[in-house]
Amino acid sequence: MALLEVRDVFKSYFLHGKRIDVLRGVSLDIEEGELVSLVGASGAGKSTLLHVLGTLDAPAAGRILFRGVSILERGEAAIADFRNRTIGFVFQNHYLLPEFTALENVAMPALIQRQDRAKALGYARDLLDRVELAARVDHRPGELSGGEAQRVALARALMLRPALLLADEPTGNLDPQTGEGIHQLLREVNRDLGIAAIVVTHNEALAQSMPRRLRLFGGQVQPT
Amino acid sequence: MNRAVIAERQTAYRWGYVWTGGLVALAGGALLATALIRAGAVRAAAGELALIAFGWGPLVSVLKGFAAVLDPLRNRSAIFSQLPLFATGVALWALGWALIALGIRRTTASPSPPSEARGAALYPPLARYTDFYWGTLLAYGGGMLLAELTLILLHTALVAGVGRGGAARDGLLRASPISAFAIALLAGFAVAFAAGFIGASRARRLSVPEATVGIFYFGLPIPIGLTALSSSSLLELRFGYRLREVTYVAGLIGRPELGYWLVFLGLALWMVFGITAGFIATSSGRVDLRTGFELFVARRHAAVFKPRLLLGLLVVLLLGIVPPLIIYAMVRAADAAVERTRIRALGMSDPLKASEALDRLRTEEHSPTAMMTALSVGGVGVGVMALIIVLSVMSGFEVDLQQKILGTNAHIFVSKYSDSFTEYPEVMQKIRAVKGVVATTPFVLGEVMVTSDRDTGGGLVVKGIDPATVGEVTDLRKNILPGGSLDNLAHPENISAMRFGAEGVSARLTSRTEGRQRPPEDVAIIEPSAPRNAERVLPGIILGTEMSAKLHLFVGDRVNVVAPLGGELGPQGPVPKSRPFRVAGLAYSGMYEYDLKFAYIELHEAQKFFNVEGVTGIDVKVADIDDARRIATAIVDTLEGYPYKAKDWGAMNQNLFSALRLEKLVMGIILTIIVIVAAGLIIATVIMLVLEKRKEISVLKALGVPDGGIVKIFLAEGLQIGCAGGLLGLFSGVAWCLFIERVGIKLDPQVYYIPALPVRIEPLQTAISVVIAILVTYLASVYPALKASQVEPVEGLKSE
Repeated sequence: MALLEVRDVFKSYFLHGKRIDVLRGVSLDIEEGELVSLVGASGAGKSTLLHVLGTLDAPAAGRILFRGVSILERGEAAIADFRNRTIGFVFQNHYLLPEFTALENVAMPALIQRQDRAKALGYARDLLDRVELAARVDHRPGELSGGEAQRVALARALMLRPALLLADEPTGNLDPQTGEGIHQLLREVNRDLGIAAIVVTHNEALAQSMPRRLRLFGGQVQPT
Repeated sequence: MNRAVIAERQTAYRWGYVWTGGLVALAGGALLATALIRAGAVRAAAGELALIAFGWGPLVSVLKGFAAVLDPLRNRSAIFSQLPLFATGVALWALGWALIALGIRRTTASPSPPSEARGAALYPPLARYTDFYWGTLLAYGGGMLLAELTLILLHTALVAGVGRGGAARDGLLRASPISAFAIALLAGFAVAFAAGFIGASRARRLSVPEATVGIFYFGLPIPIGLTALSSSSLLELRFGYRLREVTYVAGLIGRPELGYWLVFLGLALWMVFGITAGFIATSSGRVDLRTGFELFVARRHAAVFKPRLLLGLLVVLLLGIVPPLIIYAMVRAADAAVERTRIRALGMSDPLKASEALDRLRTEEHSPTAMMTALSVGGVGVGVMALIIVLSVMSGFEVDLQQKILGTNAHIFVSKYSDSFTEYPEVMQKIRAVKGVVATTPFVLGEVMVTSDRDTGGGLVVKGIDPATVGEVTDLRKNILPGGSLDNLAHPENISAMRFGAEGVSARLTSRTEGRQRPPEDVAIIEPSAPRNAERVLPGIILGTEMSAKLHLFVGDRVNVVAPLGGELGPQGPVPKSRPFRVAGLAYSGMYEYDLKFAYIELHEAQKFFNVEGVTGIDVKVADIDDARRIATAIVDTLEGYPYKAKDWGAMNQNLFSALRLEKLVMGIILTIIVIVAAGLIIATVIMLVLEKRKEISVLKALGVPDGGIVKIFLAEGLQIGCAGGLLGLFSGVAWCLFIERVGIKLDPQVYYIPALPVRIEPLQTAISVVIAILVTYLASVYPALKASQVEPVEGLKSE
């Protein structure tokens, strides 16, 4: 059974009352532990597709099965819980919560689950250690550099060991060298933890280095 | 189904038609109602009409219709007499609805080409969308009705005593009207809250349409019926006796309708609390009352519980705005001067370090949201403080007045419907056996005029009292000023004179302890007008201080009492009867009226003077004054009713106390409005917070916080403000009250008859003020919190 089965997903934007069809019958399968790159022109709907796959946005029509189950048919709270446990997000901006320290930010998904505070913070400390930020544990996001913040965001996405990591241009705001560090981390995560990942990128070299490459064109997904 | 032939249809409104139709239908309904009322049919069918009007329609009205058909003669002629009005009303009503129907049209939308998604599976939540839950409507409406019925029935049952038969009537479960009402009210609130909670958790959303329909359609009939009770003789006849306890409690504030509607509002509010609580607790699909995570986030968002902020606000509430502002300005100026000097010195050696210090100084400035938060906390604090101070002062006045009235009057007054109440000793024995009665004393009441040698006083009421027992029932013994004594009524030969002058003052100071031992000759020298050397000892009389001042009378003076109707019958009607008395003491109750209009003589003297055998009535003192009404009933029951009757102090002074309570209630409402204004600040603050945190909300949602969690976070932020403000208000309000109590604020004695502003801090009332403030802030936060939960995660995550 595939980790993710997407069938005929439609999604439109409305701009000044006009409908713009972004996803026009997207269908694709993602297997467990797969590392996939997704490329496409700006405005092709890559982010929208990621949001829909991550249950952040509702499709207008279509079916999305996670391990054979249609999560969207459950209630809002069940979807939120699913998102919390199964999906990890990394965005172009780090989107760390400014009022909390790096450590608390990383532990946040576990705190949302109401896990034991001390245990969650302990595991978050290990994760930060792993992304080589042990020295930055008590810093607020405002006091971190872009690369550091992005690594904290990655650690946060991994906090609950999700089955699927959705990365939306994670290195888009970073210089090539820092970006390469993030890419390296992504690959390690995929290899060591067996977490499937879909990485949206404009970086051709990175896209080419992925085992499976997809392109979003004309509202549909094609292999390249 | 063949999808190709589905042409999309839309609803088009012609609002002119709809609005005109609505107005015409309303006018028709009014005419119809007028016709029915004029025909007298309403009186016969008031109940049914009420039910139909509130939409409990068809089944009930059909059943009632059958009943009406079986009794045709009564209504037919009446309706025919109003036929034109009736017909016009029906016609207008129908026309109005026809216009409304014309105003709503279904049109075919302009054809647009089908989208590519035609035939694809619809997004599941949309496919299962339901917009009205009958079960929830039932929970809300039924709950409202149940809450009202619970309140009324429980109150009536508690006052009447739970259980059957005579033995249980004095059972433990019998409560005084006030406490029974409090218990019933709490039960009603609990039922309303539970119903709202259940309804909302069933639907897993707020279900505003169901709530509106439920609360209005099911909740309104009872308060409307109660309001109409006093104006409709039919309703009065049918329900008046059963609802007597309810109407009594509502009548305590003078305007029963206000009471009914406030209670209804309270029940509706508790249902709203229940609905929001149910939605928040169960929107995640299961009851989830844990809030640890939400509080963790909320505390970081709006840091309210900072010692500096709270302390500063407390100082502002206690001292006013200006003094703390001056101190703050001074401290800040000094602080800034020191800091600038330090940075300049630093800059001389290390410019970069200096710029870092400058930056730190700048980031210490407060954000607008922090400022708003402080303002909202202060606003709630001011509201609660005002509420506590004003209610405490009003309670002070009420308690003061009550003490003075109850000090002079008995708690219960037992009398007889006939003139000769000679068997009073036996009746007193029986009354004393009633549970809750502490003491009894008989009295004779008569109206007289008094004159002194110098002046003529007005009319006053003379009360013949039993000096031996009256002290147990009223405060008269305590109210006698030094120089006089109650016992001198029984022993008028001991009355000593009191005059201004060296001797008089010493007499005034010492007579309380040794007055009775003073030789009468002593006085005779000072006061020649007092006929102490008269061969006959005059009976004593105790006058109020106001009357004695008016007549220039002092203890030991002689006074003539004239009873207009007390004497024999002469050829031209009753001849006034006059008798001299000697002032045995002056009474000061603190109430101008009482001190002017009451005088006291010995019981047997009064019987002789007014030429009566028995007494006018018996004054009774009870242990619990709030229970006086029930004990009065018990006394009448013990005396086997007619010809005896009993009236409690509340009924005797009903107008005064109900006016006071109404005043207090209205003040409470007005001051609650201050709290509501402060709550407006909270709404604005939380909305600002929501706008400021849009991105954070999106991120939290992406991390898996459900909508309910977001609602909880922002509710917690609003509630933090409310709690902080409530506590500050509590502290400052109680502090102000204590200040007024200790230091005192002088009142003009000419106007108020009280030397200083009375304050009485009632714990329950004070606690309720704080609770109201917190509940209001909770309600205020619900809307912004819901708005926060509706932030689409995608909105905040758009990359710039």
